[in-house]
Amino acid sequence: MKQYTDLEYLKLSKGQRLLYRILSFLCAIPSKIGGLFGALWRLIKGAGQAVANETRDIWLTFVNGDWKTKLSFLVMGFGNLARGQILRGLLFLLFEVVFIGYMILAGGYWLSMLPSLGKVGPTEEYNMIFDTYVTTYNDNSFKILLYGVLTIFFIIAFIYTWRVNVKQNQMAEKILATGKKLKSGKDDLRSLVDDQFHKTLLSLPLTGIIIFTVLPIVFMVLVAFTNYDGTHDGYYNNLFTWVGLDNFNTMLSWTAGTGSGTQSYAATFGEILSWTLIWAFFATFTNYFLGMFVAMAINKKGINLKKLWRTILVMTIAIPQFISLLYVSKMFAKNGIVNGFLMSMGWIEQALPFWEDPTWARITVIIINIWIGIPYLMLITTGILMNIPQDLYESARIDGANAWQQYTKITLPYMLFVTGPYLLTSFTGNMNNFNVIYLLTGGAPTNPAASSAAGTVGYTDLLITWLFKITTGAESQYYLASVVGILVFVVVAVISLVVYNLLPSIKNEEDFQ
Amino acid sequence: MASVKLTDVKKIYDNKVTAVHDFNLEIADKEFVVFVGPSGCGKSTTLRMIAGLEDISDGIVEIDGVVVNDLQPKDRDIAMVFQNYALYPHMTVYDNIAFSLRLKKLPEDEIYEKVTNAAEILGITEYLTRKPRALSGGQRQRVAIGRAMVRNAKVFLMDEPLSNLDAKLRNQMRAEIILLRQKLDTTFIYVTHDQTEAMTLGDRIVIMRDGIIEQVGTPTEVFEMPRNIFVAEFIGAPKMNMIDTELVKEGDQYFVTPFGAKLEVTGDKKNELAQKGVESGAIKLGVRPEHMVLTTEAGESSIPCKLEVNEMMGSELHLHVYTEDETRLIVRVPTINLSMEQRKQLTYGAQLYITFEGKVMHFFDKESQLNLIYG
Amino acid sequence: MSEMQNSRRHMGLKASRTLANTAIYAFLIAISIIWLIPFVCIFLQSFRVESTHQVGYVIPQQWGFDNYINLFQTDFPRWYMNTFIAALVTAVFQTIIVLCMSYTLSRFRFKMRKPLMRLMLILGMFPGMLTMIILYRVLKDLGMTQANSVPGLILVYVASSGMGYYVSKGFFDTIPKSLDEAARVDGATRFQVLKKIILPLSKPIVIYTILTAFMAPWGDFVFARYIAFGASAGKNVAVGLYDWLNKDQISKCYTMFCAGGVLVAIPVTVLFMCLQKYYVEGVTGGAVKG
Repeated sequence: MKQYTDLEYLKLSKGQRLLYRILSFLCAIPSKIGGLFGALWRLIKGAGQAVANETRDIWLTFVNGDWKTKLSFLVMGFGNLARGQILRGLLFLLFEVVFIGYMILAGGYWLSMLPSLGKVGPTEEYNMIFDTYVTTYNDNSFKILLYGVLTIFFIIAFIYTWRVNVKQNQMAEKILATGKKLKSGKDDLRSLVDDQFHKTLLSLPLTGIIIFTVLPIVFMVLVAFTNYDGTHDGYYNNLFTWVGLDNFNTMLSWTAGTGSGTQSYAATFGEILSWTLIWAFFATFTNYFLGMFVAMAINKKGINLKKLWRTILVMTIAIPQFISLLYVSKMFAKNGIVNGFLMSMGWIEQALPFWEDPTWARITVIIINIWIGIPYLMLITTGILMNIPQDLYESARIDGANAWQQYTKITLPYMLFVTGPYLLTSFTGNMNNFNVIYLLTGGAPTNPAASSAAGTVGYTDLLITWLFKITTGAESQYYLASVVGILVFVVVAVISLVVYNLLPSIKNEEDFQ
Repeated sequence: MASVKLTDVKKIYDNKVTAVHDFNLEIADKEFVVFVGPSGCGKSTTLRMIAGLEDISDGIVEIDGVVVNDLQPKDRDIAMVFQNYALYPHMTVYDNIAFSLRLKKLPEDEIYEKVTNAAEILGITEYLTRKPRALSGGQRQRVAIGRAMVRNAKVFLMDEPLSNLDAKLRNQMRAEIILLRQKLDTTFIYVTHDQTEAMTLGDRIVIMRDGIIEQVGTPTEVFEMPRNIFVAEFIGAPKMNMIDTELVKEGDQYFVTPFGAKLEVTGDKKNELAQKGVESGAIKLGVRPEHMVLTTEAGESSIPCKLEVNEMMGSELHLHVYTEDETRLIVRVPTINLSMEQRKQLTYGAQLYITFEGKVMHFFDKESQLNLIYG
Repeated sequence: MSEMQNSRRHMGLKASRTLANTAIYAFLIAISIIWLIPFVCIFLQSFRVESTHQVGYVIPQQWGFDNYINLFQTDFPRWYMNTFIAALVTAVFQTIIVLCMSYTLSRFRFKMRKPLMRLMLILGMFPGMLTMIILYRVLKDLGMTQANSVPGLILVYVASSGMGYYVSKGFFDTIPKSLDEAARVDGATRFQVLKKIILPLSKPIVIYTILTAFMAPWGDFVFARYIAFGASAGKNVAVGLYDWLNKDQISKCYTMFCAGGVLVAIPVTVLFMCLQKYYVEGVTGGAVKG
């Protein structure tokens, strides 16, 4: 494709410029993908390099180290203890003892069971004394998977700590060689509120995140490769086990009748995904533009009682969503207030199918979401609108711009620029907006082609509510929910990555500053 | 009250950008040293490494003979004044100044003594109960200095303390810093991008560019004996004129031939050139604007040129002229040397002739940019 | 002549401005009504005595406090306490955790900072709901589900709250770093910097964090429902009131739902309106920072 210079580009007409930009964007895609793979390759190479460097460093530490260092390779913290750093030494030693103890008592077992996820399920035996069948519970797949993962985390932590232990010996030797003193336990404690204060501050939040976010996510990703569901709960009825990519095949196969209702899972997934994207798009942008409009209306010169208008809207943020959403949902029901009002006024003959007709339902959901979202967007945009330098408008007015031109040429570019990242997070947030959909419609009206005894799928279901329904449905197909979850992640990640790279506020940070 | 010594100090950022290359400097007790250079030259980074606010990538920093590389700022016994003052907005002026003393757990009456004393010296006594936001720029600056003063620290660091003030206030504060220095009698390290500040304040000036020290010397040294073209151009305003020309050695005499003229090198410069055994060749000739002189007529020793811009600065005129080959030069002429009649003729396009003496010339190598005599 | 033209043009400008303003006032009044109607309706219907099911009119024919009195015959007070305790405890701990996290990421430059932030960005892209399955089973093993759901809920709310550091990090980023540096040169440890310099300057963000942390549990539906798992004693208000609106109960409990809604909304709204200023600051700052 021909590359224009700046001056040539400026000579093009408006349409040509647009065409040129679209073409050059499309042409750049292969190289961008190439760049991605390049980055990936560099990452892998870098990781390999790092491992090699670390190994060599460890080896050199061992070869060149004194006997204290050498013994530390086996007994963690020995070097610290021998060199007078009692506190550090004891902590290292304690960690090693705990680790070895754990591995012998439990970790080894969990790890050995991980490849099979349990061998013996619950057994029933006839008990002659009581003349009844007695169930004995044996292996627990759930626990094996959970503690297996935990054990792997623990092993990684141990390797890291061991590496730190080796490094500390190396450093200590170096420091002692220059004739300086090592830090004492008191120094270490003091540094925890000073130069190492970040470790103190992060310890609590990170522990929480690792145990309650990272571990569950790793676990649930792994569940996608098992057959864990209501009938294979891993302990009480049947064990569950690894099934490889089977679940992904099920989800992405186009063969009808394999699962979700009468149509294939892939078709159902496709339908829900496209509605999710449509929903996210409208939910984000209707709110954004209408919110901005309301903010501008309130901000307009000559409008009194600004505070009152704002307060009325803001108050609705405070009321918990489940109250307002549930109530509004009932207002639009067949026998609800809205239909009652319209009928009593004689404007309609029979109740409007707000929740019964797929298209009506989808539009109603989006409109009610506007009602939910505008106060919030009004707040956000008010702040930013007031930050737009007034001289931009003054200059535009002198240049002869009317109100609409001022809006499209100054306000909008500025707003889009500043709120670009927010729009992205808001889009992905709406994709996963469980509350609004679930409380308003619960996914209704039902899509018969996609529903089965195992669970209903509705026309307003998002991927996230579908996921919820799968897990709480009759068969509790956790493995399927996990596959959906992973796919949601992939979709969100791809969108974020692409948009993030296109956003002007990331690329030219200084434009409007 | 301490010496500072930097040995091979380096700063390399995470993105592998080297901000400061092997920095070597010894600062004597009670010396006032100024780091000066264009923005991004590493002067602030160096100062912040001395303060302990930046990690030292390599090398050794010593204060009073003690290696401080691994010490936290609070353990280095330094005081610092920041460019944006960094006053604690939620504390009164009194509490701002007293903050460090309270951390040291001094008794309150001693703190009172010290704070009011410092406030007295700086003339901010009446503002002691105000919050920083109620102060003007100059007053904030004084509070910031007061906060550093009461510390009685070994080293006094100042990071562009005057650059947020307007020109008039800046001149005033500059004078006050000189007075302050007499009173405190301690080691000062001062960072600025303004060569005037550097020249007026420093016992010694460290001129930096791209993380490298270009020259260290007293104000006189860096002004009169610039080590290279960068220093020559950086110190002095307007900057030194640079002319591509030839140095010609004839017997034991040296000549330069700018724009067809032929000027003899005289005085010390000639002797020093001879001593160094400099031969004929192409050079860059540097002449400060104030050393250029207007003459009335053409001749072998004058350069013909045309006037482009005439800036009236009050006591002197800055004449921007261009020669036949479009080289731009600046000439500083004291207003008093010109008659009213002569000044009227100095309009756009006027034909002028300029010349300069042999003893004011600076000679630089074209390639290495080093001063042929002092480089 | 020209004077007259001028004044006419002036009049025209003024007239069009008045027209525009009138239109805007009409618009603002209209949206105010639309926004307030549902809440007015809930409020009015909570006093309806003549029937307990959904009706097509708004103003009760018979007024009374029956619905409120009936509320106390149900598990509603228990749900209310569950939610209140969860909200209170969550507010305290979540604020501490979020502040630790955001302050650290704003002020300290350590090797793992960037990777950590990237990791949390990626973790945030996983639907959080997915983790419920495992959290439920783990909490169940610990005996923190169903009737004893409150500690479990608190644990879940608080544990991952470090991920929501963005807004307050944005706030801390606006406090000049040179304040920290000046204090450190003045002899303060990092801890003292936080205590004596940063915290006194962070009142708005502390209040914002407390407020949002306190409000979230009132609206939480998914986790609460999962963890309570049908046990009435373990429900929070959202789950409890939701269940009143399912097909079997709605005809009995509709007006009681309205009364419950009013009781939930009032304290939260009052608190919110008092601290509105800080909320607005936080929200606006957070959106710009992304």
